[in-house]
Amino acid sequence: MTELLKNLHPHPPFSLVDEKAFILLEHSMQIAYYPDDTILIDQGGVCDRVYIVIKGAVESFRDEEVVNIYHENDIFGGEEILKEQPSKERYLVTQELICYELEKEPFLQLCENYPSFKEYFFSSIIQKIELIKQKKEFASMSDIMLARVERSILHKPCVVTHDMPIKEALQIMQDQGVNSLLVKNIKGYGIVTDADLRYFILNEERKNLKVISDIQSYPILSLREGAYLFSALLFMTKNSIKHMPILDDEENILGSLELIDIMSFFSNQSYLLSTQIDKASSIEEVVDAASRLDIMISSLYTKGVKSRYIAKLVNEINTKMYNKLFMLIFPESWRSKMALLLLGSEARAEQILRTDQDNAIIFEDGFEPKDAEEYCDIFYDTLEKIGYPRCAGNVMLTNPKWRQSLSGYKHAINEWIDNPIQKNLIDMATLFDSRVIAGREDLHKILIDYMFESTANSANIIRYFAKPIESFESALGLFSQFVTATGEHKNEIDIKKTALFLIVHGARVLALENGIRTTNTYDRIKELNNLGFLNREDSRDILQALIAINTLRLGAQLKKRENGEHIDNYVSIENMGKMDKDMLKDALKTAEKFKQIVSYHFKLSSLG
Amino acid sequence: MLSTFFRRQNEKSLKDERFAPLFDKNVPKDECVVFDTETTGLDKRRDSIISIGAVKVKQNKILSNEALNILIKQDSLINKESIKIHMIRNCDLEAAVDIKEAMEEFLFFIGNRTLVGYYLEFDVAMIDKYIKPLFGIKLPNKQVEVSAMYYDKKIKFIPQGNIDLRFDTILKNLCLPKLNSHDALNDAIMTAMMYLKLKNIEKIK
Repeated sequence: MTELLKNLHPHPPFSLVDEKAFILLEHSMQIAYYPDDTILIDQGGVCDRVYIVIKGAVESFRDEEVVNIYHENDIFGGEEILKEQPSKERYLVTQELICYELEKEPFLQLCENYPSFKEYFFSSIIQKIELIKQKKEFASMSDIMLARVERSILHKPCVVTHDMPIKEALQIMQDQGVNSLLVKNIKGYGIVTDADLRYFILNEERKNLKVISDIQSYPILSLREGAYLFSALLFMTKNSIKHMPILDDEENILGSLELIDIMSFFSNQSYLLSTQIDKASSIEEVVDAASRLDIMISSLYTKGVKSRYIAKLVNEINTKMYNKLFMLIFPESWRSKMALLLLGSEARAEQILRTDQDNAIIFEDGFEPKDAEEYCDIFYDTLEKIGYPRCAGNVMLTNPKWRQSLSGYKHAINEWIDNPIQKNLIDMATLFDSRVIAGREDLHKILIDYMFESTANSANIIRYFAKPIESFESALGLFSQFVTATGEHKNEIDIKKTALFLIVHGARVLALENGIRTTNTYDRIKELNNLGFLNREDSRDILQALIAINTLRLGAQLKKRENGEHIDNYVSIENMGKMDKDMLKDALKTAEKFKQIVSYHFKLSSLG
Repeated sequence: MLSTFFRRQNEKSLKDERFAPLFDKNVPKDECVVFDTETTGLDKRRDSIISIGAVKVKQNKILSNEALNILIKQDSLINKESIKIHMIRNCDLEAAVDIKEAMEEFLFFIGNRTLVGYYLEFDVAMIDKYIKPLFGIKLPNKQVEVSAMYYDKKIKFIPQGNIDLRFDTILKNLCLPKLNSHDALNDAIMTAMMYLKLKNIEKIK
């Protein structure tokens, strides 16, 4: 078989057939060349073969609108043949094309012999995501295997001297709530665990056991910091031990590694993380634990967990973290008089990798502490240490604008409505996407109620609010090419501006209009479906598109982080596989459609 | 014309009537055969052909579905150096055929079509070396050299330039996919792509 043909094998739908199918392909496919502007299939024309792009690009148009773009290894024409319909689109060569051509007959034969091959042509975006997920799962399980023993996973060592009376030592164990005790001997360490205590209880009298070194297991097995977590797991399993001290290079004990923690690391690090945050009694400990969140995200992603569920989990852990920080940083007397809010993507529970700090405080009316700035600065610094960069738009509680009394915010809302300029509309969107993370929920509820009321009473504000949805163009709608960015971001598209924003903002505006309180975009879309504003099919498509966009974005961001690059919202088209590309195209189309629904609903075209 | 003279001489010396169609003057328009051979070395006299890959090109299409891919039995073992290049080991030659059978198959395949190739002269000379004693003729077909086509289009852009005519360079400049394996059929297909593309463009940047 020629290499050119073999090259198709990794790409769906050809990954779904066996060698026998390839022999059929070898005996039926031809390679064709078409110069620019060739019409391969006309709109309304009959398609008699399937095209597989080897090099070049083809765009499909419905009337004058670009519907799809096909690059290397992309396939088209199959759906038309299978549906036995004239083509709804015109396929035009936009970049000199070299392609494989498979005639209708052998194509149908393949479809008959390989149902999964046939199904590919009907598969929805969700199924395509499944295929990609499987691929990713397969790809890099190795990440998690390469995790090393770090201090953050260790438990504080509880060390006692060898001559301490047993009962006294047990009391220390009890007080500190630890599962094991390290015994410092004249030479080296010993360990006391549950098993040793059983031995003590059974043999205390008979063997005259007095001091802790009488019952210790000695010498102890230990590992150095930096060992692979996976080898630690093997080592502990092999020696049937559940607790093991970890030493630094100078043989000092750093802490104790617990088998249960390793197990949970390999199954799901979230458990470990959240316990650590719960246990934390200082800001530093919270910082330590929270800094490890990113590792968890990577491992979950490589395991193929849907970005939406990762976001949920991250959200749970972040909620815990913010609560803990709220308790640790703000004076007790304040806590009953304020609400700590998250804004933006974090409030929508859609943030996965940390982007920037978006937070605010509502104070009860009449309570405006003078030293607020001082505490807010500590809060800001702590978040920065954890890895939340400064918010470029300065939407942070260190900014007096986002640290106001309830009536202060109400004034602001009035002003925004009276003067709907861009800056104010952004602020409004930011505040509308907010959520209480700690403190008084009722303050926030009053504020959002006020927002619903005052926007409902103002004739045009909601339309102005919706307007920005028209300011970003879909990467497929306007530009004839997939790739839109130039310069530094050549061959990349800004997935946030061209797709994500359309869906998020559309859902936000409709939520404001319809009194929907939930801030999460998925939930907003579902709610809009329940209210009958969106039909089932549209809302399903939008949700799927959102999943696709977030999955692609997360993938790109993780890759950038791995390479030490700046994390942004650009997704590279160049090295994207066919599946990802298909998924992205479908998602972009859906986002554009949703934008049109919103534009039409608010009659934005008639708004200056 | 002298070439007509040689052509007639060639035709007269044909010993096997089955190959008379090679001299048919009614050459199909817009059809050609792109081919490539793998040999044990670059010495026309001493080295022998190991495999032949050929595809027909009809208008804008490479008929890869009816490609020719022949492996040829060797008198002696292939030496290590050439195995490294074309990756055909002695054990890969189990499906191989006699040189005579291979030449017959090849000649039937090409008929009177124009031959296209990359450094075609060498491949043609290798074929001639076998068919002259077997059938009394040399290849009478019209020949088109892809690297010359490339040169002509490229020179329009850089009139005084030194033009790199390496296979991979041409592929790259024509934006064609690069393949890793270099067997005769893969190379013939790549060359066919070059040919189609060169036929359709005016000049190359």
